[in-house]
Amino acid sequence: MTSVEERFDCSRVKPNLVHLAVGSGFAAAVIVSHVQLVRFLDMSALVSISFFNLLFVFLLFPLEGSLLSKVCLLFAGNSVGVLWYLIQLSLKEASLFFLSTDTFKIINLVAWPLIDFVWIVSIWSLSLSVLASAKRKTEGLEQS
Amino acid sequence: MILFLNLTVTVLVALIMAYIIRHYLFTLAALYHKKEQFPYQSHETKCEPAVSILIPARNEEHVIERILQRMTELTYPKEKLEIIVIDDASTDRTGEKAERFAKEHKFISVVHRGNEDGGKGKPAALNCGLKHVSGEFVYCFDADYYPQRDILEKLTACFRDPKVGAVQGRVTVLNEPNTLVTRLVALERTGGYRVDQFARGELGLISQFGGTVGGFRRNLLESLGGWDPDTLAEDTDLTFKVYLAGFKIKYVNHADCYEEAVEDWRSYWRQRSRWAKGHMQCAFRHLWPIIRSKNLRLKEKVDGFLLLNVYFVPIFAGLAWILGAALFLLQPLSWTKILWLTMPIAFYSAVGNFAPFFEVGIGAYLDGRNRTYWLIPLLFLTFMLNMLICTKAFIDLCISKITGKKRHAWSKTIHNGKGNHYIK
Repeated sequence: MTSVEERFDCSRVKPNLVHLAVGSGFAAAVIVSHVQLVRFLDMSALVSISFFNLLFVFLLFPLEGSLLSKVCLLFAGNSVGVLWYLIQLSLKEASLFFLSTDTFKIINLVAWPLIDFVWIVSIWSLSLSVLASAKRKTEGLEQS
Repeated sequence: MILFLNLTVTVLVALIMAYIIRHYLFTLAALYHKKEQFPYQSHETKCEPAVSILIPARNEEHVIERILQRMTELTYPKEKLEIIVIDDASTDRTGEKAERFAKEHKFISVVHRGNEDGGKGKPAALNCGLKHVSGEFVYCFDADYYPQRDILEKLTACFRDPKVGAVQGRVTVLNEPNTLVTRLVALERTGGYRVDQFARGELGLISQFGGTVGGFRRNLLESLGGWDPDTLAEDTDLTFKVYLAGFKIKYVNHADCYEEAVEDWRSYWRQRSRWAKGHMQCAFRHLWPIIRSKNLRLKEKVDGFLLLNVYFVPIFAGLAWILGAALFLLQPLSWTKILWLTMPIAFYSAVGNFAPFFEVGIGAYLDGRNRTYWLIPLLFLTFMLNMLICTKAFIDLCISKITGKKRHAWSKTIHNGKGNHYIK
């Protein structure tokens, strides 16, 4: 019998707390500015954007990757979120002329939970993909 | 009436939120867990007791040779290994192919079940096999599975802890590139095992026996009465029986095993319907004993409660969606308006056992599977389907309760062996 010391290492991430702190600051600033925008958008936009920021800051900022790319991705995500609601708002306004107010309200209400997550999930996944690719490239460079 | 509806929506959203928080905590735990305390084997000692592996097989002629060939390649000492294939009234060449292996290898044997006894589901077949085992530990592998060579060493090492009554390895999808369904199932598996199961183990919560790629202490399994043929989720049933008996289940993330996932939506529907019904049966059976148990800590009870009810979450989400939208149009109270605003978040992030998108994403990141992220938004399809599956399963269960029908037909998943070509 041979001496055996089994060590099955399980990948774990050492959180980058500095990035986390910086990300939290940026996200807080973004949310505060959205609060100011609430009169133009609506409350639902604020809730979804806040959720996106929460997911982004705590799950993506502590990962490996440059701080600049994370901040850029965060702002890009927030911009898409605002754009998403501006489109929704425009549709709402336009529908007033062509449909009754209630019609759009009903369609919006029923479809809203389905539509809203599309941008959150897509942008979040895309950001994770960017960070993972950067990590892979770094690992590839280190190996070579 | 309106107040009642408002209260109902509030309760539903609160329950869904509890699942969101649970999954969020699991994701954080999987990402930033403490360094795992790995089993240490001192010099000149190895944990290699006699083990038995049960392989229930009903019409598995396309895959049975694959797993039996793999069994002959396991690194576990063959003199301490016993493989029992349970040919469960197969109408194809499963039994014949298994017999060929049994003739060539002493440690493989085949138990044939005839049409009278056989074909009554996996739990009945496993119980039949259990009567023939001689090993101290009993493992179970489905016929379409393909384990690592040293999987038994990795799993058995955990039994050195006397509190561990059962072990569970990780399941990954073999035929992932085949169809959209297999790709989505692979994502669910990534979230479910790499993050969900792993985090539950890390946090000292309820680790789940998944019905395959796992094993039990034989004496414990026998004292629990083996696999219950009356439930469609015999694995979940055993999970809770193990915990209620005062033992733990250890999830071993590095003990990896491939499975052949369902390839089309019809098979997906049938498989998940069985899981949903079985899980709901277990919820009705074990909820109260879990709450009352003196063997479980508070956090285990809370997790057990949430785990047992996980297949109700898609129903809650659907109900909250319909009621919330109706109330918003009729007469919402101020707090219901706020709750309704959280619905999109609740919708996609509390799909329970099917793993919300951030759990899957982080699982893929930890596995280094960079090409799968673009598929994550498509998990929405399985979520919508599961909403229908779980609702139908619940209705079916209610009808069978009313009509007094106890047994449910076991719908077997068909494996066509299309994953074989991925193995060298």
